[in-house]
Formats: sequence, C-alpha cells, structure tokens
Amino acid sequence: MSRPLVGPRLQRVLALVPWILAHPGVTIAELATRFEVSELELERDLELLPMCGLPPYTADRLIDVSVIDGGVEIRLAEYFERPLRLAPAEGLALLAAGRALLAVPGSDPNGPLATALAKLDDALGAPSLAVDVGASDQLERLQDAAASDERVEIDYYSFARDEMTTRVIDPWRVFHAFGTWYVAGWCHRVDGERLFRVDRVRAVRATGERFDPDTRGDDELRDLVYHPSADDPRVKLRLAPAAEWVVESHPHESATRRKNGSWDVVLAVSEPAWLERLLVGLGPDATVVAPPELVGLGASAARRLRARYGTT
Amino acid sequence: MGERVADRLERLVNLTATLLETRRPLTLDELSERVEPRYPEELAARRRQFERDKETLRELGIPIRVETLDGFGAEQAYRIHPDDYYLPELELTEAELAALHVAVTAVRLEGDAGREGLAKLGGLAGEGADSPLAQLDVTPGLAALFDAVSRHAPVTFSYRGDVRHLDPYGVVLRFGHWYVVGHDHDREAPRAFRVDRIDGEAELGRGGAFTPPEGIDPADYVRADPMTYGEDQPVDAHVLVDAPRAGWVVDQLGDEAVVERRADGAVVVALPVVNRAAFRSWVVDLLDHAEVLSPPELRADMVAWLDALAGAEPSR
Repeated sequence: MSRPLVGPRLQRVLALVPWILAHPGVTIAELATRFEVSELELERDLELLPMCGLPPYTADRLIDVSVIDGGVEIRLAEYFERPLRLAPAEGLALLAAGRALLAVPGSDPNGPLATALAKLDDALGAPSLAVDVGASDQLERLQDAAASDERVEIDYYSFARDEMTTRVIDPWRVFHAFGTWYVAGWCHRVDGERLFRVDRVRAVRATGERFDPDTRGDDELRDLVYHPSADDPRVKLRLAPAAEWVVESHPHESATRRKNGSWDVVLAVSEPAWLERLLVGLGPDATVVAPPELVGLGASAARRLRARYGTT
Repeated sequence: MGERVADRLERLVNLTATLLETRRPLTLDELSERVEPRYPEELAARRRQFERDKETLRELGIPIRVETLDGFGAEQAYRIHPDDYYLPELELTEAELAALHVAVTAVRLEGDAGREGLAKLGGLAGEGADSPLAQLDVTPGLAALFDAVSRHAPVTFSYRGDVRHLDPYGVVLRFGHWYVVGHDHDREAPRAFRVDRIDGEAELGRGGAFTPPEGIDPADYVRADPMTYGEDQPVDAHVLVDAPRAGWVVDQLGDEAVVERRADGAVVVALPVVNRAAFRSWVVDLLDHAEVLSPPELRADMVAWLDALAGAEPSR
C-alpha cells in the first residue's frame, strides 16, 4: 500500500471545512464532486475532524460534525470559517486561464467569468496580468465551422514550402498553443490529418457540406512539435553564441555547446525554403558544416535575393 | 518513523488552528504542552518533528511567522497572522465558480495550481469544458514575479548578463512568451523583460515599496510586434511585396500600411522600424517576394547583408 500523502489531504480538509460552514446541509456526494475525491475518502476526512480543535480538546473545543439525512453540518470551527489565501502560483494559474478564455472571440466580456476575475483581482491586491492570445481574421469563422461540423475550403500559406495552396478541410477543432491559434482537421487535398496555423489561413469559403463529427480525431491537444520523418535530410550547423535561440526554439537531433560558447546542432530539414530563411536570417552567425551539398545553400539564396537589388 | 498519517494530519490541523487562534506567539515548549497528538518528549526529536510540520505547512502556503521573544533568552515563538492566512471575502456566485471551472478545464497550464486554487474558492461547480481550447506555458520563476507584482515588491535579477532592478507592475503573456513589465531603475524607463531569459531566480525586495501608476495596462509595455520593439532611431521603411504574398502581408500589417497597390497585384507597405535586425528577418522570411525600397540606408543594409553572405567562403 502506498503511503498517503499528508499535504494534499490537509489542503483538502482546510478547503472543505470553510465550504461546509458556508453551506450547511451540503451532501457528501456533492462535496465529493466539488473537491474531486471519492465519497469514501471524504468520509474519512470528516471522521478526522471531531478529533481536531483547540486545546485543551474538551467537547466544547472540538470541531462538531454531524451528518443528518445525508446533509453535513459543522460547528465550533470558526477559525476555519474562511479558506486559506491563494498561493501565488494558484492565483496566477486562475487569472491566466480566465483571462485567456475571456480574450477568445465569442466570450462574454461582462459575464460571470469577467466578474469572477474582477473579484479575484481585488483579492490578490489588483495584480496586473494580461494575456494576449492574438486574434486572426479567420479565427471566428473557423471556430464557427468547427462548432457546426462545416466542411470548408481554405487558402493556406505554407510557410515551410513558401507557397499558397487551396484545400478543402474538415475543421475538427480550433485551439491555441505556443502563442498561436491552430485548426486541426482532415485535409482532403493530402487525404490525411493536418494541423494549420490560423494566422496563415487567408480565406475561408463555405462548401455547403457537413462532415461526420464521428470522424474527428481524439480530444487531446495535438502534439505540435514538428516530428522529422526519417527521410528528411539532416543538416549540421555551427551557431555563434548570438544564435543560441535556434537551439532553444527548434527541435533538434543533437546540440553540443563548444568551449567558446558556440553550438553544433543537427536539425532535420523539412523544406529547403525553411533552411534558406534560417541561414539568410542568421547571416554570419550560422555556418553549414554538413552535408556538403547544403554548405553553399545560404550563399546561393543570398545571391538570388541580392539579384533584385541590381547594382547599387 | 512510526507516526501514523492520521495522527500527523490531526496534529497539523490542530497546530494550524492553535497558531491561528492565539493572540501572542507561542514557543515550541508551549505548543508541545498544548497541541495534540503530542510532540515527542525528547528534545531533538521534538524539534525535528516540529520543523517537519512547519515545512509541510509552508509548502501548502500556510505562513507561520517566527518571532523572537525578548526576556526568555531570545527564544523563538510562532504564530499565524490571520491577515496572512485568510482569503479575503470574495463571495463568488455559483455561476462565477462554474465559469472559473470552465476556464481551468478549457485553458491548460502545467501543474494543478489552477484546480488547487479553485478548491480554496469553493471547488468545482458546473460541468467544466468539454475539450481543451488552449495550452499556456508557465515559465519557471513566473509565480515569484507575479507574487512581487501582487505585493508591490521590487525585484532584482540577472538578464543577459546585466543585473536589473525593476518595480514590477504586471505580467503579460504575448506571442507565447511571458514578460514582466514595470519601471526599470537602471534605465529610469518603462521596460518589459522576457521571463524565460532571466538567469536564475529573481530576488524579491520588501512588499509595498512602490505604488504602481494608476490605470496602467501592462500589455502596453510589451509592444505589439517585435519589429517595433527596439532602441534604434525610428525610420519609416517602404517594402515592395510581390502579388503572391501581398494579401498575406496586408492581413498581417493592416490596410493602413499599404502606400501603393500596383497593377500586377504587388503592394508597397510602410513599416516603422526601430529594430533593424527584426526588420531584416521579416523581409528575409518573405524570401524572393520582397524588396526594401527605402530609405536608402535600410536598402543598403539589406544589400550589404546579402553581399556578405553571398560572398562568404564556405568554411569547413
């Protein structure tokens, strides 16, 4: 049998008592749902309380718990009348989640979430916390389409390949992660599950068709990190210390920090355009070490881009 | 060693109640005489057990104050100040609790802090959200900075090798990154710092040490676009964007940025540039579809950048 942890149980007891004090007659079943615990565990928590109280632990100093017709009542626990303050991480998590949801198009700016957050702000000393989830032109349109199982045609800009495409998709769901909005769904052009960045969707057109909601993929947020396939070419780059962010922000096969602070990193290359951007953008801070056929890629891209500036 | 969980739990509840209820701080001797189940008789074991309890309470955010009693050989005594313990009266309605339940189920953050906080406010009301809508990252060290914002405590931290002193006015999540914003004492100016770029932990000063200006919006401190976030002398740049990317760029910058629409579908857009590196990388991301037209120095910058790269000998 694993040893039950004291901390979480104590935390629960200290949250339960004020709630029962404020809602005498609440049922065990309701408490169990509210506090995410089994009825059995809850009963054990309630059995503990009559042994607790203040010195000298005489009957008039011990917490009095009674269960009458399934309703729980507590007396003699005035000192637990109000719950414990929120820890900084708890206040932060509640405000961040609430503000993010409130920022999503379609949220009621004056509804119960907004008033709850205003009360929390007050309780936490009016800390300033802002969450910007960004809004793209097509976000609401795609949300509506996902909500009504509407098959749509989109114009989509593929950043990695640097090309504009038109495709019919079944938008399963729209969600926000890593600071941007995505739509996950079935792409009829490639006949497969795909993830699209909403800010790269240029236009959404109705097809007049619905998709079968049962064909939706699972409910969990997709794993958004680009998964290199075994056939994608690999490139080994040497990065100056100033380009360290590349190591932080791109999935890589390996990364080694050298004595002088520079990095050797091996990346999978999904599309040449992606590597060209990276190399031209980084300039002298990045050098291709291998393979030989990619060593000149940055220079040749630079020459190509340079051509349109003529002789200056 | 030996002590039953139920006994320890019982004592922790009693210890919390006793420390909350007392009008004066209590020494460990006094607590040992009062609180049941009793602490061990033996002094070292008693001290050890009490320290363990204190640590458990501290981890749960129960703030025990340690005060030194004069006249008793400077003995330490303990209490919980009601103001440190009690949640201010919130009077959340059932609908508000249900809305917060939806928020913590729809917007995922690492860890359980949201649900734990919600338990203190009254637990899970209503149904919650059917499926997650957003995933937010929480940067290590963010909770401490948020605490500093709440308590008006100045912070000191190391940022890209420099020590910075900040009166933190708020925290902001934008483009997937958390920023702490406020008044920077080293620059005597408003500044935003990316929390994931702070080295190590921020040090918090005394609470109530500053008053944030009235009616500030912390989001204003984090400029909307990395290109407009920098310290270069501002310059208006004109960029020609070819037809295949024109719509895309106009969506991004807004119609007001368009200074010319050409017959072939290309556009010329104007951008205020205060960060030349960010501007260059924006233009490079458009690859073959963009050209810097003016001012001459930005055009020359781009040409020099491309020339240097085009002429660079591949190293081995």
